[in-house]
Amino acid sequence: MQDATMRDSKAVTRSRMSVPKGFVTVTVSTIALFLLSTAIAPSSVSQGALLGMLPFAAVLAIVGLGQMLVVQQGGIDLSIPGAVSLAIVVVSRVPNGDDSVLVPAIFLAVLFAIAAGLVNGLLVGRLGLNSIIATLGTNALLFGAVLGISGGSPRRTTDLLASIAGGVSAGIPNSVFFAIGTLVVVALLLKRTASGRRFEATGANPNTALVAGLRVKLQQTAAYVWAQLLFCLAGILLAGITAQPTAFQGNSYLLPAVAVVVLGGTSLLGGRGFPISTVVAALFLSQLDQFVLALGVPYAVRTLLQAAALAAGVAVYTIDWAAVRQRFSRRQPAQVA
Amino acid sequence: MITQTDSGPTTLPTLLLSGITKLYSGVAALTDVSLEVARGEVHALLGENGAGKSTLMNVASGIAQPDMGLIAIEGSQVSTLTPTLAAQFGIAVVHQHPAVMPDMTVEENLLVALPPSVFEGGNIYGVATALLADVGLTVHLKDRVESLSVAQKHLLEIAKAFALKPKLLVLDEPTAPLGQASVDLLFARVRSAVLEGTSVVYITHRLAEVRELADRVTVLRDGRVRGTEIVSEITDGELLAMIVGRQLESTFPPKHEGDGAQNLSIEGFSGPGFTDITLQGRRGEIIGIAGVVGNGQSELLRALAGLEQFTGTVTVNGMRLTTKSMVRDVAYMPADRHREGLMMSLTVRENAAVSALSRFSRGLFLSRKQENQTVGDTLDSLAVKARSMDADVSSLSGGNQQKVVMARALLSEPTLLIADEPTQGVDVGARAEIYRILREVSASGIPVIVASSDAKELEGLCDTVIVMSRGHVVDTLVGGAISEERMIHAAVSSTTQSVTAISDTRAASQRALDGDADRRSAVRRFIQGDYAPSALLVAVVLGLGAFVLTQNDRYLNDFNIFSMLMLVSALGFIALGQTIALLIGGIDLSVGPLAGFLVVVGSFFINDDKPFGVVVIGLVVMFVIAMLAGLINGTLIRIGKFTAIAATLTMYIALQGLSFILRDAPDGYIARSATDIITFKVGPLPVAFIILILVTLALEFFLRKRRWGWNLRAVGSNEESARRSGVRVNATMILAYVATSGFTFLGAIMLMAQIGVGDPAQGVSYTLTSITAVVLGGTSLLGGRGTFIGTVLGAVLLVQVLNATTFLGLSQMWQYIFQGVLILAAAVLYSLARARKKRTLA
Repeated sequence: MQDATMRDSKAVTRSRMSVPKGFVTVTVSTIALFLLSTAIAPSSVSQGALLGMLPFAAVLAIVGLGQMLVVQQGGIDLSIPGAVSLAIVVVSRVPNGDDSVLVPAIFLAVLFAIAAGLVNGLLVGRLGLNSIIATLGTNALLFGAVLGISGGSPRRTTDLLASIAGGVSAGIPNSVFFAIGTLVVVALLLKRTASGRRFEATGANPNTALVAGLRVKLQQTAAYVWAQLLFCLAGILLAGITAQPTAFQGNSYLLPAVAVVVLGGTSLLGGRGFPISTVVAALFLSQLDQFVLALGVPYAVRTLLQAAALAAGVAVYTIDWAAVRQRFSRRQPAQVA
Repeated sequence: MITQTDSGPTTLPTLLLSGITKLYSGVAALTDVSLEVARGEVHALLGENGAGKSTLMNVASGIAQPDMGLIAIEGSQVSTLTPTLAAQFGIAVVHQHPAVMPDMTVEENLLVALPPSVFEGGNIYGVATALLADVGLTVHLKDRVESLSVAQKHLLEIAKAFALKPKLLVLDEPTAPLGQASVDLLFARVRSAVLEGTSVVYITHRLAEVRELADRVTVLRDGRVRGTEIVSEITDGELLAMIVGRQLESTFPPKHEGDGAQNLSIEGFSGPGFTDITLQGRRGEIIGIAGVVGNGQSELLRALAGLEQFTGTVTVNGMRLTTKSMVRDVAYMPADRHREGLMMSLTVRENAAVSALSRFSRGLFLSRKQENQTVGDTLDSLAVKARSMDADVSSLSGGNQQKVVMARALLSEPTLLIADEPTQGVDVGARAEIYRILREVSASGIPVIVASSDAKELEGLCDTVIVMSRGHVVDTLVGGAISEERMIHAAVSSTTQSVTAISDTRAASQRALDGDADRRSAVRRFIQGDYAPSALLVAVVLGLGAFVLTQNDRYLNDFNIFSMLMLVSALGFIALGQTIALLIGGIDLSVGPLAGFLVVVGSFFINDDKPFGVVVIGLVVMFVIAMLAGLINGTLIRIGKFTAIAATLTMYIALQGLSFILRDAPDGYIARSATDIITFKVGPLPVAFIILILVTLALEFFLRKRRWGWNLRAVGSNEESARRSGVRVNATMILAYVATSGFTFLGAIMLMAQIGVGDPAQGVSYTLTSITAVVLGGTSLLGGRGTFIGTVLGAVLLVQVLNATTFLGLSQMWQYIFQGVLILAAAVLYSLARARKKRTLA
């Protein structure tokens, strides 16, 4: 990924690519989980099980990436259920089985997403509303739109969408390619462009960003727009994956989306984002479901395991903070003196 | 070393510090300092910034523990002095930054910070009014402290200290923000307290005040006592000589030689905290801004960086700067590296490059090679020492962190460089390098302005120095005239009034001009008060009710009222709990699943075939589980340092799991008799709703009138101020989460009657609905302000809207749209009301 070191024997050297702690934790956990699955519940890693699991992992990964962008700016987006549901309803209800209307329907869904993102972004970024309140309100409005369009009754998706989003290429579900594509785009934009770097810097410390001449409000607004676009993509995929989507399909993605962001190591206080870790965490949670399902233990246990994983994930992160704080408290008195 | 003698308490010093040494990570802040404060004397403490005055007073008030030395209060030695112990001994400190809770009223600030004994034998109103009159603070007791000016907040802090009738009163630069009238009154008040036997330690930078007030004066320099003198027996010149003359290890680069062309001109520059600044700079010069900390220097620099509003002109190299060009082209190095200077969680490279990223872009993407090359070269030229460019900036030493800030500033290719306290917390070696770099920047033609509280540093570094006092330039020194003495002399002898004090006086006279000011301010207080949202909600509820009634006359029949109020009861109790969590500035996402889980637990005990004892046990088990859940939430947040969202989200998922473990499908029918009791009604009113109203009123009473409520709002308003006012922050916050769960338990009882069966999927939606109700009621998510009454009204409105859509024959879509519009309208409205208040203040 990086070119070889350009500078040598200078005062400040470049280190090798450092691997974030969250990435190590979540990747090791995921590998361990797959090994465990193979050993204890082989049926959970059968081809059928994987083909069933991966599309939903892909959707969760995309939703998680969207939530990550908002969390990076110190916010949280509670409008995921409405956003995902609206995209589903628009691309299934509007074409009503007619493939030729699919593209305009997708176009319409994207317009809705941009509008919702702008509403959230302006309320939070410009007016300074709390992100919880703003996105809670937007979520209700989005559901209003969902019911207005669908009347609450589902429709079969078009065959075209089902074959694109729900299909399998080279033995891998198409949705996985979408997730990987999204990951590459998000990671590249975030880590390799000037805008992305400014975005992360703003999240890490908006005060400093202001002093450094960055456009803080713009970055905060942009986070919500990008997030809505990703939720929209997730909704479109979901509409193709599930043959009979419901009008409230998005509900089940709100909490897991926050969970994968936290497990991926992104701080709820904002700052650096970890797109790859977030996607791996989505894989982890999805496989955890499969594993527990294969073991035959009730739904409840897998929920408890999710809670335990989340608590552990946060604890890893808070302990890290304690160390940082200790380092600060050792240094601060020196400044007083 | 002090032994009790028979000479009686009057001759014993109120405070005796002897041989105090205090180290901070090995560096001595105080060395062998002794100070004796006699009963009934005003003892002034003089010294430069960083001489150790505040550290010494922190030792005297138990905030800092000395590494060596003895503390004796009225002759008895104290082994370990804590803030609580110091308060018991009668030591009161007025800090430079008032420990006030902005969201609470003046009266409540007094009540929360003072012991109940102060208000004994008199009504609260009378006592509080007298306390304020005592220091000449003319504000209404019901005014929110947020709406007070800096000076007024300071007077409030002073009033709190006097109210304690302390034996020893420590005043840390009390007059800095005050106008002349307030200063006179304060001095008179200090004198009368002294007559009653109070001892006063008076920290100041102003010789005039020492002369006016103090009996004796102790001068500190570099953490050592330079001498203690009787004020009437020493001249200003002698005092000045004791203050200055600090040895400085740093070496400075040679100053600018010869005449460069003028490249900087600031004319009539005014803004918040500073006024009418005029100065010129020439190519190659470094301009210094001297003065005692907090006299408008930082505000001036921020305005130059385009971060504050201003009037006047700034011209650099012939170009007049606008706010926009300042933000873009002026490089500003703030004093507080942690808060503003750096992104501590990012790397050295990311921090240094952040203002110059467009220079490294090659098409869409950044050129890593270009970035590494350029940033690396700059870091090298500044001699930054770091493990690598990709090390976290937080792992660097203070000096190297400051160099990273400089690297960012230089990489942005600025037209003007301004630095606020560039060497604060920087070791000696790095200081010399920072001076050298500033020189080089200046020589390259970029004007450099440096503000420092260290006069010695400015003497060594600068070619022109302006001295600021209370926002005005009181002296301009050029070339050979720049000396530490001249700067300190100008700063400490100044008698200017602060800019804010002047505008205060102006505002007060303006207010006096308004004829019906009193009536208008009562209206203003209400609109800005906590109950305005409640009044608005009542109006909306009545209006909506009236409208629905005109459309459908069955709306107000007994059955509909009963079922609506039952729904309100369940949501109301849970929302009351949520209000507590939001009041302390937190949030509890787990209330919904907790309510659901408690119902599931109850469904194992409270059945028709179970004896009464089992039913009681069931209720107890439900209650204990609720308490546990709250305790875990609170502990994770306060002890485990989880964010409130992360902790209660974990609890949310776990409780949902537990519900499904106990019941994987709805089962366990709730006893008919239990449901009958819970749904018992008087006329159309459910008894449960009446209880909800009574509980709400009781809670509201406690929130406004009892210490429990003050503590709750104090920690939510400002954690640090609350701690300094003696509130036990951790205990208060953890108990708040326990209380939240307690009310969720009551809500679960209501829910039990409504659902009638142990259903693991129920209850979850109450999390978001409860937050909605609380927000509608006007409680701020930032903590510190809100009402329980508003919350219940919010719950009423939510239920009413859902109910109304059915009566109006509207589809489910409208339920969502109304909800969304309600939330957003309330949030925008309340936040705008708050923002306008802030603006009128500025």
